[in-house]
Order: sequence, then structure tokens, then C-alpha cells
Amino acid sequence: MANLKEVKTRISSVQSTQQITKAMKMVAAAKLRRAQDRIIQMRPYAQKLEGILVGVSASLDIEENVFSEEREINSVLIIAVTSDRGLCGPFNANVYKSTNALIADKYAGQFKEGGVTIMPIGKKALDYFTKRDFKVEKKFGELFARLSFNEAMKVAEFAMNGFEEKEFDAVEIVYNEFKNVATQIMCTDQFLPIVSAEEGNTSVSNDYIYQPNQEALVEHLIPTSLKIKLYKALLESNASEHGARMTAMDKATDNAGDLLKELKLKYNQTRQAAITNEILEIVAGAEALG
Amino acid sequence: MYLEVITPDKKVFEGEVESATFPGTDGFFQILNSHAPLISTLGEGPITYVVKKEGKDSVTVKGGVVEVLNNKVVALVESLVEEE
Repeated sequence: MANLKEVKTRISSVQSTQQITKAMKMVAAAKLRRAQDRIIQMRPYAQKLEGILVGVSASLDIEENVFSEEREINSVLIIAVTSDRGLCGPFNANVYKSTNALIADKYAGQFKEGGVTIMPIGKKALDYFTKRDFKVEKKFGELFARLSFNEAMKVAEFAMNGFEEKEFDAVEIVYNEFKNVATQIMCTDQFLPIVSAEEGNTSVSNDYIYQPNQEALVEHLIPTSLKIKLYKALLESNASEHGARMTAMDKATDNAGDLLKELKLKYNQTRQAAITNEILEIVAGAEALG
Repeated sequence: MYLEVITPDKKVFEGEVESATFPGTDGFFQILNSHAPLISTLGEGPITYVVKKEGKDSVTVKGGVVEVLNNKVVALVESLVEEE
């Protein structure tokens, strides 16, 4: 039988762990709300922009854009989006796994030649990829501390410049897409060159006045829509992180509860055993005397 | 007419206005009520709008696009320039 005191210490340690996980769950829930609000905040902008872009480019051939140029792929930039902190279940590990799978599936040849650069966003990815044999672009590793569209813009501009100057022939983003609190979907999106969107039948009948002209407008809008795309990926990942942490912490709290139940049972058993023992001793002693 | 100024992070302004002046890439231009449909790129500078009772107000922006359609003006702004 375990020592009574030992069990007692275990119980109090599990209890305090449970308190921590409970608190973390609550914090994650609050942060999740905020992260979701940001996604909702961005949505009208993205939709409007998309609408304008589709309307303007409907009558134009946008295939000639710099960002949709398909070249032979010699070097690739992979943007891997994780979180800054751990304790969120398989959230980060999934990103590593998908990144590795992406390299193995699609860019094995380039990887051998050293043509794969990883740009981690989030401290976890930064640590992971720096420790291993990857070519890492560290500039934006700690972006989540101050996530805003301006920061996302810098990342997008870096990738777009690299693509324009033929430093990278393709750019991919690996991130968690937010479906709901409990579900995150791993997403691997090709960021550049632009995959031409499916031809939607958009009947744009408004005779807009275009300033300065349609071509210039499209040229102006495409980079913006790319930035929005990246920003969206970051926001999704951010919301997913908090969702994942919330679920992980909820499970941890439940597990701690189960453990506590077991430990309490054990404690009571041990206590009862000790009492029985004591009584036996007294009875035995009394008998010996009598 | 109804004016909306939004960035990806937040809604900067939303409401009924008398007129609005935008920093287009080719120069400033003003939109009044019942303007014809228009799409224009924006450069850097202030968007000035006149609200009926409160008077003139402005936000300084950098980059973006504005759409005018059926008395609804939507300015999608890339970033705001904080005033000193």
C-alpha cells in the first residue's frame, strides 16, 4: 500500500495542474474570440476586393501578370505558419509533418540541390527548422507577437519580391485552417505563381469609370489580394492555435479530473487500511494482555 | 451617399456623408452625391469627408482602392498613416 502522505502530495500536485489547465483553457477561449473577430473584421474587405478584382479583370487577360508567370522550379520558398507557444496539442507537429511531406512529395529534387528555403512564422517553427538541416529565412519568425496587416504585408512583399527577382520560382504556405474550435484543417496553398481562379460567371454590367485604367488597376489589385491572402492564412492559423489549445487544455482538465478521482479513491483506501491496521494492533495488544 | 473606409484590421469610418475627397494615384478627386460608378486606385494622402452636422473630418491613408456604386462609396485602404 502506498504511503498516505505520498498520495496526498500527488493529489495536491494534480489539483494545481488542473487549475492551471483550466485557466489556460479560459485564456485560450478569450483569445479565440478575439482571433475570430479579426477574421470576421477582415472578411468584408477581402470580399469587396475580390469582387472588384473579378469585375475589373473579367474583361482583361490577366495571364500576363508578373505573379502568375510559371517557370521551371529551381528554388522554392515554403512559409510554415505555427504558433509562438506550445501546449496546443498536435497543432504545431502537424505543420512540421505537412511541410516535410510537401518537400518529400513535390520538391524532393530541389531539396537535394538546396533549393528549398523555409520561412517559419511563429517561434515554434523557427526553433524546429533552425535545429534541423533546412535553409531558413529567419526574418519573420516572431511575427505573431504583433500580428497586424502591416506585418503580414511585409511578409507578402518579401515573398513577392523574391518571386519577381527570380530568387524563388514558387512560394507555398503551410498553415492550419480554422474550421471550428475542435477542428483544424492542414492547408498547403500555392501562394505564387498565382493559380488562376476557376472561371466564375460574373455578370458585371456596371459601366465603371476606371482610374487610371483597367490594366493599371489590375496590376495594383493583384499584389493587394496576395497580401490579403497571406494575412488570411495568418489569421486562420492564429484562430486555429487558440482553438487547438482550448481543446487540448479541456482534455487535460478532464484527464486531471479522472486522475484526481482515482487518487482520492486510493487515498481513502490507504487511510482505511491504516485505521484497520491500527485497530487490529490494539485488539491484538488487548488480547495479549488479557 | 454612404461612405465606408475599411482596412483589413478594422473599419475606420462608416456613415452618411455629403462629399468625400480621395487621394487617387493620378491626383485628388472629389465624389459627390449620385456620382457615376467608378473604381480608382488610391495613393498616399488624406481622405477628407464632410458629415452633415459634424463637419469635415479626414483620415490619412496609404494605398488602396475605392469603388463608387449607386451612392455607396467603399474605400479599401491598405494602411493608415498615424497622424502626429
